[in-house]
Amino acid sequence: MFETGVSGFLSSDMRLHISLTFIITITASCGTADSRKIRGISPSYKRFYRERKSFLCIDGSKMIPFEQVNDDYCDCEDGSDEPGTSACPRGRFYCTNLSFRPHYIPSSRVNDGICDCCDASDEYNSHARCQNTCWNLGQRERAYVEGQMRTLDEGLQLKQQLIEEGVLLWREKQAQLRELQQVAEDLQIKLEEHRRKKHEAERLREQTLKALGAGDSSVRRENGSSTFNFLDSNKDGSLTVEEVQAKVALVHDEERLLSEDEAVALLGGGRLMDLTLFQHTLWDVLTKADSVKIRGSLDAAGRVVAEDLEASDGEWEATNQKKVEEAYDTVNMEISDLRKKLTIDYGPDWEFLFLNSQCYKLKVYEYTYTLCPFNQVTQRSTAGADVSLGRWGMWAGTPHNQYSQMVYESGEPCWQGGSRSTTVTLTCGTETALRSVREPSKCQYIMDFQTPVACQPVLKQRGIHSEL
Amino acid sequence: MATFTERMAPVLVLWLAVSLSGTWAVDKGNFKTCDQSSFCKRQRALKPGESPYRALLETMELTNTRLTLQLINDNNKVRLLLELYRLQGNITRVKINELKPLKLRYEVPDVLIRDPPTEPLSLLSQDENGVVLSLGAESQRVIVSARPFRLDIMEGREVLMSLNSRGLLAFEHLRMRKDTFSYKVTSTVASVWDNIKRVFSSQADPEAEKKEETDPAKQAETAKEEEEKVEDGMWEETFKSHSDSKPNGPSAVSLDFSLPGVEHVYGIPEHADTLRLKTTENGDPYRLYNLDVFQYELYNPMALYGAVPVMLAHNAQRTTGIFWLNAAETWVDISSNTAGKTVFGKMLDYVQGSSETPQTDVRWISESGIIDVFIMLGPTPKDVFAQYASLTGTQAFPPLAAVGYHQCRWNYNDQEDVTSVDAGFDEHDIPYDYIWLDIEHTDGKRYFTWDPHKFASPKEMLQGLMDKKRKMVAIVDPHIKVDTNYKIHNEIRSRSFYIKNKDGGDYEGWCWPGSAGYPDFTRADMRDWWASMFAYDQYEGSMENLYTWNDMNEPSVFNGPEVTMHKDALHGAWEHRDVHNLYGFYVQMATAEGLIQRSGGVERPFVLTRAFFAGSQRYGAVWTGDNAAEWDHLKVSIPMCLSLGLVGISFCGADVGGFFKSPSTELLVRWYQTGAYQPFFRAHAHLDTPRREPWLFGPENTALIREAVRQRYTLLPYWYQQFYHAHRTGQPIMRPLWVEYPEDPATFALDDEFLIGRDLLVHPVTEEGARGVTAYLPGKDEVWFDVHTFQKHNGAQNLYIPVTISSIPVFQRGGSIIPRKIRVRRSSSCMMHDPYTLYVALNPQRTAEGELYIDDGHTFNYEKEFIHRRLSFANNLLSSVNLAPDAQFSTRSWIERIVILGASKPSKVILKTDDGQESQLEFDFDSSMSVLTLRKPGMNAGVDWNVMLQ
Repeated sequence: MFETGVSGFLSSDMRLHISLTFIITITASCGTADSRKIRGISPSYKRFYRERKSFLCIDGSKMIPFEQVNDDYCDCEDGSDEPGTSACPRGRFYCTNLSFRPHYIPSSRVNDGICDCCDASDEYNSHARCQNTCWNLGQRERAYVEGQMRTLDEGLQLKQQLIEEGVLLWREKQAQLRELQQVAEDLQIKLEEHRRKKHEAERLREQTLKALGAGDSSVRRENGSSTFNFLDSNKDGSLTVEEVQAKVALVHDEERLLSEDEAVALLGGGRLMDLTLFQHTLWDVLTKADSVKIRGSLDAAGRVVAEDLEASDGEWEATNQKKVEEAYDTVNMEISDLRKKLTIDYGPDWEFLFLNSQCYKLKVYEYTYTLCPFNQVTQRSTAGADVSLGRWGMWAGTPHNQYSQMVYESGEPCWQGGSRSTTVTLTCGTETALRSVREPSKCQYIMDFQTPVACQPVLKQRGIHSEL
Repeated sequence: MATFTERMAPVLVLWLAVSLSGTWAVDKGNFKTCDQSSFCKRQRALKPGESPYRALLETMELTNTRLTLQLINDNNKVRLLLELYRLQGNITRVKINELKPLKLRYEVPDVLIRDPPTEPLSLLSQDENGVVLSLGAESQRVIVSARPFRLDIMEGREVLMSLNSRGLLAFEHLRMRKDTFSYKVTSTVASVWDNIKRVFSSQADPEAEKKEETDPAKQAETAKEEEEKVEDGMWEETFKSHSDSKPNGPSAVSLDFSLPGVEHVYGIPEHADTLRLKTTENGDPYRLYNLDVFQYELYNPMALYGAVPVMLAHNAQRTTGIFWLNAAETWVDISSNTAGKTVFGKMLDYVQGSSETPQTDVRWISESGIIDVFIMLGPTPKDVFAQYASLTGTQAFPPLAAVGYHQCRWNYNDQEDVTSVDAGFDEHDIPYDYIWLDIEHTDGKRYFTWDPHKFASPKEMLQGLMDKKRKMVAIVDPHIKVDTNYKIHNEIRSRSFYIKNKDGGDYEGWCWPGSAGYPDFTRADMRDWWASMFAYDQYEGSMENLYTWNDMNEPSVFNGPEVTMHKDALHGAWEHRDVHNLYGFYVQMATAEGLIQRSGGVERPFVLTRAFFAGSQRYGAVWTGDNAAEWDHLKVSIPMCLSLGLVGISFCGADVGGFFKSPSTELLVRWYQTGAYQPFFRAHAHLDTPRREPWLFGPENTALIREAVRQRYTLLPYWYQQFYHAHRTGQPIMRPLWVEYPEDPATFALDDEFLIGRDLLVHPVTEEGARGVTAYLPGKDEVWFDVHTFQKHNGAQNLYIPVTISSIPVFQRGGSIIPRKIRVRRSSSCMMHDPYTLYVALNPQRTAEGELYIDDGHTFNYEKEFIHRRLSFANNLLSSVNLAPDAQFSTRSWIERIVILGASKPSKVILKTDDGQESQLEFDFDSSMSVLTLRKPGMNAGVDWNVMLQ
C-alpha cells in the first residue's frame, strides 16, 4: 500500500511536469501571430522573422513577401526563408527540444517520416507517429551527465592520487637511476682495480720469467714466496699435506701423484709448513731436484711454475673481473633502460608513468588483446601464438590534448604489405582498463582505454535546457 | 622420353611465364588460351574455304512456320538437320543439330521467355541450286544455297548477313570412342592379321598390294578415317594439373557470319575491353566462359565473370544482332577487311572508288550443344533491343531504393560497425539506401546464417536500418560448406541436389568455407527448394529490408581448372561443359524467386549477381566484379556497362573506388562522380584495404562526394523512369551515343561518354589531374544544356570543357523534360512524397518532351497502379497528359518548380488545372542564361494541367 502510494505520487508529479511543458510550448507558439512562421527558428534568430510586409533573406541576397516565409518553397539561396520546411537544400531546422538539448537538423529531415527532434516538431506533416521523448531523454541525459560528472570527480581524485604516486614513482625512478649510477661508478672503480691488478700480475709474471731464466737466487727466493702462495691454496699462510698433494708431483719416467707419506716427507715430516721453513727446505727441493715438480711441469721447472702461477692466480682474477664486467654491463643496461623509460613523455605530472610496466587484457570473440602501455600491443588467438600489433610509437592526440591518443607501430607485417599498428584512445574512467578493440581495416587496430589519468579537469558541460 | 619432353616444353614455358609475370596482374597462366582449349584450337585451325556441307534440297519440308532441311558433310557423310524459323518482330532463327545424334545434344532451356512466336515463311522460288524464302517485311528474303551450303539474308539487292559464306560451319558429331581398350585390341589384332596376310600374299602375288592400294573405295575409306583421326584433346584434355575426361568426345560447333557494309560490332560481354569490338586475327578470339578472374587485366579478350552471346552490328544505315544461344565455352573471332587500314588508306579507297565494301566477318565456336542462332534484323538499334527483349525478356524493374546509393565493404565487421557507418552517413549528411555485408557476416561462411558474436541480433540491426528507411544486402553464395552440422548442406545432400562429379559422387570443391558442394541450380526442384530458404522463418534473422547478393556463381572453385568447375561434372544427364555459362543465371533466378516468394509475391526483389548469361536481366543487377583502384579501371567501367546494356543488362555498375588496392583521394572522388551516373551505384572495397567511407578524406573531399551522391538522388525520378522504360522496352538505360545518333559515324566508337536514356549526356572525368575534357555533343540541329550552369551548346561538335575537381560534365538535350526531386534526404524512401522540379530544355524549335513515372516504389502493384504522364512543351504551352488512363495511383507529390532552359521572358504565366481553375504564377527570368523559373505552381504531379507562357 505504501509503495503504491509513493509511486502514484511520483507519476502524478511527472504528469505535472509534462503538462507544464505542453502549456509552455503552446503559449510560446501562440506568442506570435502564426505558428507556421515560428517553426524551426532558434530564439536567437527570432529577430529576423518579425512579422513585417517583407522578409530579407538573412544573407541579404533577396527580399521576398513575408507570406513566402515557411511556405514550402525555397526563395533564399541561404535557405533562411524556409527554416520550418524541407524546401531549401541548405536549410536547417531548429528543434527546441524543451527539457532536453535544442539542436539543429538539416531541413531534409523535416517531414521525412523519421523522428529526429525529441519534441517531434520536425514531423508535423508526415505519417510518422513521433512521441515527445525530450523529458525522458533529458532525464537520461541528466543521469548520464551526472554519472559522467561523478566519474569525472572520482576520476580526478584518483588521478590526483596517481599524479602523486606518479611523482613519487618518478622520484623513485630517479633515485633508482642515481643508485644505479652509483653502483655503476663503484663497479667501474672495482673494474679498474681489477684491471690494475691484472696489469700487476702480468708484470710479475714477466719478472718471474726473467728471474727464472737468469737463475738469480735472490729472485728465486722472492719467487719462493710466490710459489709458496701458489701452493697455499687456502691462503692460510701454511702448506698442508693436502695442498702439497694437490700441486706437487713426483717425476720418474712419468708424473705421479704424491702419496700422503711422501707429502709428509716433503713437508719435513710435519703436517704443516710455513713460508720461512718452505724457503729453506721444500723450495730448494723444488728448484733443484729433478724428481719433484710442481704438477704439470714436464718442461723447465721455472717456466711451468710461472705458467701455473698465472693460471691459478690469474684464473681467479679473471673470473672475478668477468663478474664485475658483467655486473657493470647489466647495470649500465638497466640505466639506459631506465633512462629510455624516463625520456618517454608521461604527461605534465608524470601521471601516465604508472602505466609503464603494466599490461591490460581484453578478450574479444576468439582473440585476447594485451596492451602494455609504452611498450607494446599483442593479440593472441585461442589457438595460436602472440602476434605483435605494434610497439610504442608516440602520443597522437589532438593539438588541444595530445595525451588523448597513443599510437603503437611496426607490429607484425601484413599480407598485403605494411605492418600492424594500433591506435589507443584514452578516456576518463574510474578504473584503468581496456574497454574495446576493433579492427576497422585489416591490420589497423583501434582500442578504447579507460583510465582516471585521462580525466580532464575541465569537461565542458553540454548545455541542457534548464528552463522549465 | 621424347614425348615427355615435348609435352613438358609448353608446361615449362607456361611456368616461366607465370613466374616471370609481375606481382600485380592477372595470372594469365591460370586461364586457357584458344590454343590450350582443344576444341578452339581444332576449330580455329580450319581456314575459310569451300564448305564440305551441302544442303539436300530434296529433304526440305516447309510448314507454315518452319523450314527443315538436311545438310550433309561430304567428307564424312554425317547429316545435320537445319531448321529455319521466321519469328515475330523481324527475327530469323537458324537451328542446326545432328540429324541422328548418338545421344541428345544440349539445347539451352529457360533463357527464352517463351517459345518465340513464329510468322509464316513462304517459298518465293526454288531450283536445284537453292531455295528463296520470303521473310515478309520489306522485301526481305533468305536464300538457301545448296552446294556448298550457305544462307544469305537479303533486303532488296542488299545482303544483310551471310551464314557459312566462309565455309566455317563445323559440327563435331558425337561418335564412339576409337582409342578405348576394346577398340584398340580389335584394331591391333586386325592390323597384325592384315600384316601377316600381306606378307603371305606378297609372296604369292607381288602385285596384290599395289592393286589394293589403288582401289578407289578403299581410298575413300582412308580419307574418311583421316578426317576422323583422333587428335590430342578430343577424348581427354589436361590443363595444368586438371584433366577433363571428356567421355562424349569431341562435340564442338562453329559457324561464320559475314556482315557486308559493317565496320562496327559490339556486345558479347563480359570483357574488360573497348565498346567497339576489335578484330581478333592477331591474337585470341573473345572468350565467353564464366570465370572468377583474380585481378583481371584490361583491354584484352579474356573471359570474365559473365557471358552474353549476343553481338550487335551497326552502320549508318542499319543495326542487326546475332544471338548465339549456347551455354558452353564459346570463342568469337572477328575479322574485317578494313581493319588495319589507316584513315588515309580508307580515304584512298574512297577516292579511287575501291570496289571492296567494308565487311566484318564473325565466327562463333562453342564446345558442345547445338547451333541455335537468332538473327535480329533491326533495322534500328531500338528494333534490335525490342527483338532481343522479345526473346529473353527485359530488365527487372527494381525497387526504387536499389537505384540509390549502396555502401559496401568486405567487410563491415559487426553490428556496431554497421551502426556507426550508418550514423556516419547522417552525420555527414550523405544519403544512402543499402548497406552491404560480405562473407564475413556469416557463421563460418555458411550462407543463410549469421556470425553468432559479431551479428548476434540481426533483426535488431535490420530494424535499426528500417527506422531510418534504409535497407541491407547480405551475401549468399552458391558454394555450400560440407558440414553435417549445417542445415542447408544436410538438406541439399539428403535431397541429392548437389552437382555430381564424373564418378557420380557429390562434387566437392574448395571455396571460402573450405570444402564445399555446389547445388545443381539447373534443376527446377532445386531452385524451388533454394527459393523456399529465403522465407522469413527459414532464413533466420532476415527481414523484409534484407536483400541478397550472389557472388562466386561462375561457379568459382578455387582448386578447379581455371578456378571453376570440372567440365565433366554432372548435372543429371548433362555435363557441366554443356551448362557452364548458365550456372550463375540460374543462381540469381532462384534467389530472386525466393525474395518474391517470401513476401507472397508482393515485393520486388533485388539481387546482385557476378556471373550472368543472356536473360539475366530479368533477375536483377550485375557488377563488373573485382576491379582495381586504378584510373584505367574507372575508364573501362564505361564500355563494360555500355556493352552489357546493349545486350539487355541495364542494371550495371562497377565497384566505386575499385575493389583491389587503395584509391588516391582524387581517384575516389572521380569514381563517385562517375558512379553517380551509372545505373548500379555501389562503393566496395577489399578486406585488406584501408577504410574509405566518404567522410574519411577531409571535409573538402567529403563535400565533393556528398555532392556527387546528391546529384544522383536529385535525378532519381529520371533514373527510375529509365528503369521503367528499360523494363517495358528492353532499351538500355546507359547508352552509347550511336544508339540515339545511329547515322553519325563520329559516335560509333565513343566510349568515354554515354547517354542516360535519351536526354542526359555524361562525360565523366576519368583522367588523373584533368584540367579539361573534350566531349562530343551529337545532333546536327540540336542543342545541349550544361545541367550545372544551364549554358547552351550546339550539337555536332567536340566541346572542350575546363574542369575542376568538382566538375561532372553532364548535359541535358534540348527538347527534353527531366523531372528531379531537389530535396535530397537520407534515403530514397524518405523522398517518396517530395515535390518535383521539372527541367524543360527547349530545342531550337522551342519544343520539349518528357515523361513522369510514379508508383509505390517497391511492389509489383506497379503493373496496375502507377502514374505515367507525358509532359510536353510546344507553342509556349507546357502540359501534362495521362499516358496510362487505366492505371490507378495517387501521389502526394506535387510540382514545386518548373525551370525552362532556353526560354524567353513571358509577360505572364497562367496555370490551368484539370478542375478548370486558373491562376497566375510568379516567375523569375535570368536573361543572361535565358532561364525561366516558375515559382511554386503547386499542382499535384498525378493530374492534368497546362502552363501557358504569355
